[in-house]
Amino acid sequence: MSLDDAQIVNVNNPQQPSSPDTTLQRHVLDLGSKRSRDSERYSSISMSHREINDGDARLVHVNDALKTNERFEFAGNSIKTAKYSLFSFLPRNLFEQFHRVAYIYFLIIAILNQLPQLAVFGRGASILPLSFVLLVTAVKDAYEDWRRHRSDRIENNRMASVLVSDRFQQKKWKDIQVGEIIRFSADDTIPCDTVLLSTSDPTGVAYIQTINLDGESNLKTRYAKQETLCKTPEKDVINGFIKCEKPNRNIYGFMATMEIDGKHLSLGPSNIVLRGCVLKNTNWAVGVAVYCGRETKAMLNSSGAPSKRSRLETRMNREIILLSVFLVALCMAVSVCAGVWLKRHENELEVLQFYRKKDYSEPEVENYNYSGIGMEIFFTFLMSVIVFQIMIPISLYISMELVRVGQAYFMIRDNKMYDETSNSRFQCRALNINEDLGQIKYVFSDKTGTLTENKMEFKYASIFGVDYSGEKTNFEGEQRGYSIQVNGQVWRPKMKVEVDKELLELSKDGNNTEAGKHIYDFFLALAACNTIVPIVVDTPDPAEKLVDYQGESPDEQALVYAAAAYGFMLMERTSGHIVIDIQGERQRFNVLGMHEFDSDRKRMSVILGFPDGSVKVIVKGADNSMFNIIDKTLNLDILKATEGHLQSYSSIGLRTLVVGMRELGVPEFERWQSSYETASTAVMGRVALLRKVAINLENNLEIVGASAIEDRLQKGVPEAIESLRKADMKVWVLTGDKQETAISIGYSSRLLTSNMHQVVINSNSKMSSKTSLEDALITCRNFLVPGGSDGNTTSVALIIDGTSLVYILDTELEEQLFELASNCAVVLCCRVAPLQKAGIVALIKKRTDDMTLAIGDGANDVSMIQMADVGIGISGQEGRQAVMASDFAMGQFRFLVPLLLVHGHWNYHRMGYMILYNFYRNAVFVLVLFWYVLFTGFTLTTAITEWSSVLYSILYTSVPTIVVAILDKDSSRRSLMAYPQLYGAGQRHESYNSTLFWLTIADTLWQSIVVFYVPLFAYWKSDIDGSSLGDLWTLAVVFLVNIHLAMDVIRWTWVSHASIWGSIIATCICVVIIDVIPVLPGYWAIFDLASKGSFWVCLLGMSIAAVVPRFGVKMFIQHCKPSDIQIAREADKFGSSMELARQEIELNPSRR
Amino acid sequence: MKTYYYSLLQPILFLPQITNADMNPVTNGALKSKKTSKKPEYSRFTQQELPAWKPILTPGWVITSFLAIAFLFIPIGLVSLFASERVVEIVYRYDQDCVPEMYRGNVSAYIRNSLTNKTCIGNITVPKKMDPPIFVYYQLDNFYQNHRRYVKSRSDKQLRSAAYESSTKECEPEARFNKSGDPVPIVPCGLIAWSLFNDTYNLIKKDKVLNINKKGIAWKSDTKVKFGSNVYPKNFQSNDLIGGGKLNESIPLSKQEDLIVWMRTAALPTFRKLYGKINTSLEAHDTITVVLENNYNTYSFGGQKKLVLSTTSWIGGKNDFLGIAYLTVGGICLFMALNFILLYVFKPRPLGDPSYLSWNRKAVN
Repeated sequence: MSLDDAQIVNVNNPQQPSSPDTTLQRHVLDLGSKRSRDSERYSSISMSHREINDGDARLVHVNDALKTNERFEFAGNSIKTAKYSLFSFLPRNLFEQFHRVAYIYFLIIAILNQLPQLAVFGRGASILPLSFVLLVTAVKDAYEDWRRHRSDRIENNRMASVLVSDRFQQKKWKDIQVGEIIRFSADDTIPCDTVLLSTSDPTGVAYIQTINLDGESNLKTRYAKQETLCKTPEKDVINGFIKCEKPNRNIYGFMATMEIDGKHLSLGPSNIVLRGCVLKNTNWAVGVAVYCGRETKAMLNSSGAPSKRSRLETRMNREIILLSVFLVALCMAVSVCAGVWLKRHENELEVLQFYRKKDYSEPEVENYNYSGIGMEIFFTFLMSVIVFQIMIPISLYISMELVRVGQAYFMIRDNKMYDETSNSRFQCRALNINEDLGQIKYVFSDKTGTLTENKMEFKYASIFGVDYSGEKTNFEGEQRGYSIQVNGQVWRPKMKVEVDKELLELSKDGNNTEAGKHIYDFFLALAACNTIVPIVVDTPDPAEKLVDYQGESPDEQALVYAAAAYGFMLMERTSGHIVIDIQGERQRFNVLGMHEFDSDRKRMSVILGFPDGSVKVIVKGADNSMFNIIDKTLNLDILKATEGHLQSYSSIGLRTLVVGMRELGVPEFERWQSSYETASTAVMGRVALLRKVAINLENNLEIVGASAIEDRLQKGVPEAIESLRKADMKVWVLTGDKQETAISIGYSSRLLTSNMHQVVINSNSKMSSKTSLEDALITCRNFLVPGGSDGNTTSVALIIDGTSLVYILDTELEEQLFELASNCAVVLCCRVAPLQKAGIVALIKKRTDDMTLAIGDGANDVSMIQMADVGIGISGQEGRQAVMASDFAMGQFRFLVPLLLVHGHWNYHRMGYMILYNFYRNAVFVLVLFWYVLFTGFTLTTAITEWSSVLYSILYTSVPTIVVAILDKDSSRRSLMAYPQLYGAGQRHESYNSTLFWLTIADTLWQSIVVFYVPLFAYWKSDIDGSSLGDLWTLAVVFLVNIHLAMDVIRWTWVSHASIWGSIIATCICVVIIDVIPVLPGYWAIFDLASKGSFWVCLLGMSIAAVVPRFGVKMFIQHCKPSDIQIAREADKFGSSMELARQEIELNPSRR
Repeated sequence: MKTYYYSLLQPILFLPQITNADMNPVTNGALKSKKTSKKPEYSRFTQQELPAWKPILTPGWVITSFLAIAFLFIPIGLVSLFASERVVEIVYRYDQDCVPEMYRGNVSAYIRNSLTNKTCIGNITVPKKMDPPIFVYYQLDNFYQNHRRYVKSRSDKQLRSAAYESSTKECEPEARFNKSGDPVPIVPCGLIAWSLFNDTYNLIKKDKVLNINKKGIAWKSDTKVKFGSNVYPKNFQSNDLIGGGKLNESIPLSKQEDLIVWMRTAALPTFRKLYGKINTSLEAHDTITVVLENNYNTYSFGGQKKLVLSTTSWIGGKNDFLGIAYLTVGGICLFMALNFILLYVFKPRPLGDPSYLSWNRKAVN
């Protein structure tokens, strides 16, 4: 409920009417890098929030908690995640539990049973099942809540240093108030959302780690405002107030203004540190609390996993409705018969005392428990609902949850889905859709970070039209990379980069040659135009330090490391300047302004003041956005050459960025500076204003060069994709990368093969989209019609870009795209925006019944992950946005294969079988009860004791189904992995479909007839009493359903043996216990019964005769129409080499 | 508004989820500091590799199972049938013959009137030699002793102990007797006891009374535990409407074996109840005169009354059903076994033959 909403905020609300401007902007995608995604997060978020107006604002008076919270409307800092208190536990817990329809059904039945007219079961027996389930759940909830209470207590009693009467004093977290000034030391955890006032850094930078908040481990920079930096809270009186937004859950957005000493300042997300973050690399920081306790962004964001309903469960609900119809039919039959019976015996009712119409002891005539035929029919109906209640297998829902927990346990513990590099296990976040994993037909995958490692490595550079992609040398042997001397210490970059020898030589020349000048500009741009923070790390050797470049984008990291390797080492960054060591000479550049990346511009720029006093703007961005703003009148041939290089880089799967530069004249600089300042302190529409300023500045650039970064494929990706394709899943790759990059990754991941025909759609208008779609469809049909060739039809791959999708999605062309796409073996969508990803998933989801799965790792995949039936998050380099939105999370793309082919297949098979078995198990019992009712004058007597009726689904037969549904394996992991085609069983709904349902019902009918009528005829005209016959039926049904299950178990481990035979023994023990209670009518019945031969003959005969038809049919089908699974199982057991035989067939297709 | 699906086991401990623990850096830090690898520990259980028996029913096994069932069932069937054949059973229906001609138009008046002579005499012939013990049953047809309201109308507590004499809640409408304005409990209360069967039989063979032993006809467990030896009948059949037999108030319930047998309510609407045992043998063609008191009213609801004399075997009374059923199932299994043999011979399929895999079949086609 909560998480989903948060994500929708993050990715632009699809329903929100968008101006044509934003639609256009949406389809143009960013660099695909992390940095860009983050910025996108920022921008889209801040856009989707209105600017603050007074009504929505919160006014915080700095260092005056009382005045701030005059009206006591702000929360204190104590948190309470526990749901219940001692007194509220019972009512609240019950209230929550009864949210489940199943429990309501239980409750209504139990209440009905309490009415004296309808009391079928005794009080105890009727309440037992419901109270049992409620109790178990309540105990579990209470335990969890106790843990929450404990952790709340620890959290609330932590200490923080708070300014009280001009002195910092230790104070418990729970006592912190909004408006108070707090001081943090290094490695302190922030107790509440705090606006920074000053830090130990003279420029006001503070580094924080947000791992507790979003899982990202790199350091982020936060700034204190210049105006508050110099103040020491103990001495100076800080007079002012902060006007900020109402508390919200957006952890990437913050909007406020501060008025201090009469100055008006604007505050943004970079000025606030959030609860749960940790202060790092900063000695101290002072801030003022603005959101406390439950109003902090961290607390607002703590919510559960998304809940979905599995496809199997949806189908099951249809059959449950059928079962309800059966139930009503049974009850109708009983009540109508009862009515007829009463009518026929109307005149005898006087003799049958229990319907006595006349009381002879009193002079006046009195009715006893007889309310007329109409009411009697009605009562009979309700009573039969009570007696036959388990026809609707309510316990099934509880069993299903238990089974899913068991399955999740095994998925989490699977060694083969453990990722060494990130030390992460598989995670099951959603518990309701395990079985959906076995029926996937479409896989939508992100590329960066999902198929690839998202570990960027600088490869090639094109500098001013010269391509430097020569041989690489690794300096491991000779020189150990570039290093500089600082105060007698050796500083070197933490990561080594392979360098191009020629380029290295040239870069050492400095500004002396023409080429050297361009190279100087290029690497300076790489080192300066970014948001990377260098952090100096100690090494064991005291004379050596490592420089670690921390930043939010792996692309930028790679570029800065590359610049360092070529002698342009970024050493220091503060908010006002950077220090770069250029070939051993340290230079200081003033950072006069920075326009951060956003997905509309798809570029970022810095305005740099050079030591010589000149000012330059350096811009870095995606090629298509950069070529628009590069001055085409200058160096046209160089532009052409660069374009050619870019083409060749991206064709081998590299990610490219273009760098441009321009010198600013004084008037232009001043003009920019004034508008920049106005924009960045604006209260209204700051983001839009800043973007406008940036666009005005970024034009007429001179090209500097382009870089190419490699993002390697993850281990095992090609094999995984091949397996998925063999399993008849359609793999679609949706990426923000360029078409060439996407295609080359397609080849290297074996998604595309050389014998595939590629259909490319690149259109710029609706009309051209339409024609290209139509052309593509015709081509596609031509290929699909086997033109007399040897059956080896070439498959078609569709490659489509985001621009074309703008004109296709949400229009009437969608239908054609769907038809085209469903005929293609592979679909590659490049340059797609996050929302388009979701749109593509929706395209398939709306039109087919097939299951869709989306897998991705970044914030831009969130919408797609939520749209698909099954969403999988990769917990990799890009933080936890995707994981938080996903149903399952794992470390590597290749784990998809064991997840789907093995666990998914097992889960589906197990769940499907369990549902059918539960239907059968309950229906057979109900039918036995029903047949008996026909022989009791339709009065709903049960020969089976009420305790056995109640225990039947709770104790007698529940454990084996759950155990089997958790542990049974219809095929071994080895076969499932070796023959991905076996996955087809789930796609074809082989384990659960209406044919199987009706077969099961027919079988149930037969089995109930055998169980009921064999003893009936055997004991007709005998002196058997009701309790004895009831015991016989109880035992017979339990024996039967367990034998039935045993027949279907494929893998007998000791657990299955114990549970199946154990339940039979447990049932016998229970029956004996019930029969040694003297006040029950059935006292000693079982002993009397078992002493006679007929009992044993009956029991044996029933158990065998009931299952013979099932056995015969099963064996017949197994022999004549074996399923793939069956053959794989046989091959597995008898070791016949499937592999060899298969090849033989492929070579010799004309056999048979 | 989203549908709220409350999941019972969602927040179970080992499932990752953002809970408070995640948000609390303290607990988080504690976990981090251990720096343990999260790699799941290997065990055959967690990797789902427990040793297992994976039976596959090969043609051999299928045929063997069918044959085994056949060879088990056919002999049992024959033995049961044989046992049932040996049981000698005499059934004598008397409910219609024992109504005097003059009352046939109004049976109700006859049976309800306590003054009419209910004695009735009939003859039965023994078809085959009957060895002792010979069981004497009465059989009632179309008598719903399993009617819900009837079955419930009893108080097991009261039957067991004198201390619970007044726990008659379930016994309505035969719970209490209105003794001069003061309702006193009826012992034994309830409709079952109230409708106690009260026809009596005397058997005479060649002018000699056959002794019917009425001791030990009830279950030992009932006489010892279920029916109290200190519970005496009280106010029984004192209401105006009399349902059946009366009880001697000086004999405790545990000794009233007819009542105990009657109180074990029958499972089915046609049932027998043990009346007594004869410990002498009856020869074939013996004629036995039955002198009975036709007191019990089954006429109002069209029930039948029969007297049954039967010997017994290990399988119980005379009933061919089980034997026939066993023979049928055994026969069917034999037939199935033969069919499967033919199937395997004429349409063999090598086990694990990959050419039957769906994708290979498709490729061939």
